[in-house]
Amino acid sequence: MYLLQHSILNSANRYPDNEAFRCGDKALTYKALTAQSYQLAHLLIELGVQRGDRIGIYLNRCLETAVAVYGIMSAGAAFVPLDPSAPPARTQFVIQDCGIKHLISNKNQEKNLKKILTQNLGIKSIISPFGGNDTTVISPFEGGWGEDFTAFCDNLNIRTSIQKKIQKLPHTNPNIRTLEDDLAYIMYTSGTTGTPKGIMHTHRSGLAYAKLSADLYDVQPTDRLGNHAALHFDISTMGYFTMPYASGTTVIIPDIHTKLPASMAQLIVKERLTIWYSVPLALTQLLQPGIVDKCDFSAIRWVLYGGEPFPVKHLRTLIEVIPNACFSNVYGPAEVNQCTYYHFSNLSEKDTTIPLGKVWGNTEILIYNENNEPVKTNETGELLVRSATQMKGYWGRPDLTEKGFYKRQRIDGCEEVFYRTGDLVKMCEQGNLHFLGRKDRQVKIRGHRVELDEVEAVLTAHEAVGEVAVFAIKNEDEAHIKAVVNLKKDIEESTLKSYLVTLLPGYAIPNHIKFVDEIPRTTAGKIDYKTLKL
Amino acid sequence: MKEALTTYIKKEILNSPDTQLTDQDDLLGSGLVDSMGLMRIITFIEEEFGITVPPTDMVIEHFMNIEAISNYVAGRQTTDG
Repeated sequence: MYLLQHSILNSANRYPDNEAFRCGDKALTYKALTAQSYQLAHLLIELGVQRGDRIGIYLNRCLETAVAVYGIMSAGAAFVPLDPSAPPARTQFVIQDCGIKHLISNKNQEKNLKKILTQNLGIKSIISPFGGNDTTVISPFEGGWGEDFTAFCDNLNIRTSIQKKIQKLPHTNPNIRTLEDDLAYIMYTSGTTGTPKGIMHTHRSGLAYAKLSADLYDVQPTDRLGNHAALHFDISTMGYFTMPYASGTTVIIPDIHTKLPASMAQLIVKERLTIWYSVPLALTQLLQPGIVDKCDFSAIRWVLYGGEPFPVKHLRTLIEVIPNACFSNVYGPAEVNQCTYYHFSNLSEKDTTIPLGKVWGNTEILIYNENNEPVKTNETGELLVRSATQMKGYWGRPDLTEKGFYKRQRIDGCEEVFYRTGDLVKMCEQGNLHFLGRKDRQVKIRGHRVELDEVEAVLTAHEAVGEVAVFAIKNEDEAHIKAVVNLKKDIEESTLKSYLVTLLPGYAIPNHIKFVDEIPRTTAGKIDYKTLKL
Repeated sequence: MKEALTTYIKKEILNSPDTQLTDQDDLLGSGLVDSMGLMRIITFIEEEFGITVPPTDMVIEHFMNIEAISNYVAGRQTTDG
């Protein structure tokens, strides 16, 4: 087994009728998922897709994403998750940056797709994964497009009706000669210069993560994972890679449920979830008054959380509410997916922060000072990680890739490549890693990575804006982004915010923009962020 | 009531007062409104219509579209009053 799609083939052979993915009242068995993925792969190949091509997945949380992921990989191509709630300009950037010629999407996204296709992006076809005649599909898909949308695409020379062919295509493995070193997926994340960067992962790094996590959490074919994260967030890899590897079930939490905690709590109970993995916020939402009162979460045996630290006071309450679970603090930049773990079932009075914990398998770390020398125990340094799960590099940015990696030659002719996380850590006497902050201007907002410099760059680009300082204020529970702007021309805060909404994801938008006559600077001439934060 | 609600959503949540938005348009599943937006809508209806929205009432049936929110608010007004 060396490709990610070997997981579903293997699971289809051993547990063909196990539910692979479920969303709402629809589900796909491993047998059906494999058949439909292969049909999609055949269609993509017929459309001219070559090994290494990048195919966009423009879907919200739904069952089609599973077929899209495995269909694209089975065609030898790499999938690029696109966030339907991102501003059109951002999606347009990714499509062009990556050279995406085909999109997998569905009827729900027609409105959004029209907003993106306002310029020629080189898209040749948009496909909706269509239910085949396989009777093992529990509920058939509603595929197809509206007449309006089909006409809209026809005008742009974008093929949509091609998918009618899917039902007639073979269910067999196209057997494209793909290697573990080939690209499997690219996830885009905040860049510092105003445009996002694409993290390239191979089948090797994806499968290494699936194996390590399946092992660490002892995932069984009977396990049911609640997948809260959208596909463009690397937390989703447990649902899309690990569970299929272990032949378990991934329950995709629908978008609606992520927004309504009472409905989500009911769903967790109804689906008898045994594993949960999300950002802390998804779980703390459940702690609002009355929500979990009548809920029986006793089936949950693992609660994994990642993306940002979990406020300890909420953790204490959560531990009481989910009594049979072991909690796992999952840490790892998207560039390496996961690299450490810290498990606990309860907390003592003394615990104020949760450590990052121990380094997991097939992974090596270094804690270096500014001179690239190892620090001593309890000393702070930057965390460098070398792992089987690490990215290949940043798409189209050899400069950033070069900067992001540290190379070491301990043995002649053998280069060891470490990823520079930019996270400050220390190792304590108990052998646990502790997180101490960032080296730079990156923050996490509701688990999402935001480069403050990117927000500054986008603001500065506006003609009315002279100088800008963007910083984050953190309190116990969350961080907030604030901007201070020195204007060249008069403008309303709301107008500036509307401008930002067209270019940045919602979580990256400053919640307050203050207009000043002058931005305070230090004696060295740099922006005085310390004074601004007061 | 529906009008005040529709206007608020279009202006404050979607940031575009001129969008077409019907009573039946799916607000949550379609991605029109995210979780922050939902919280703001709830604050708005609490302040504007003088009701309280307990977290246990934040379910799909009450918030999926403008029609549902409006019915929910009307129901709460009779119980709270």
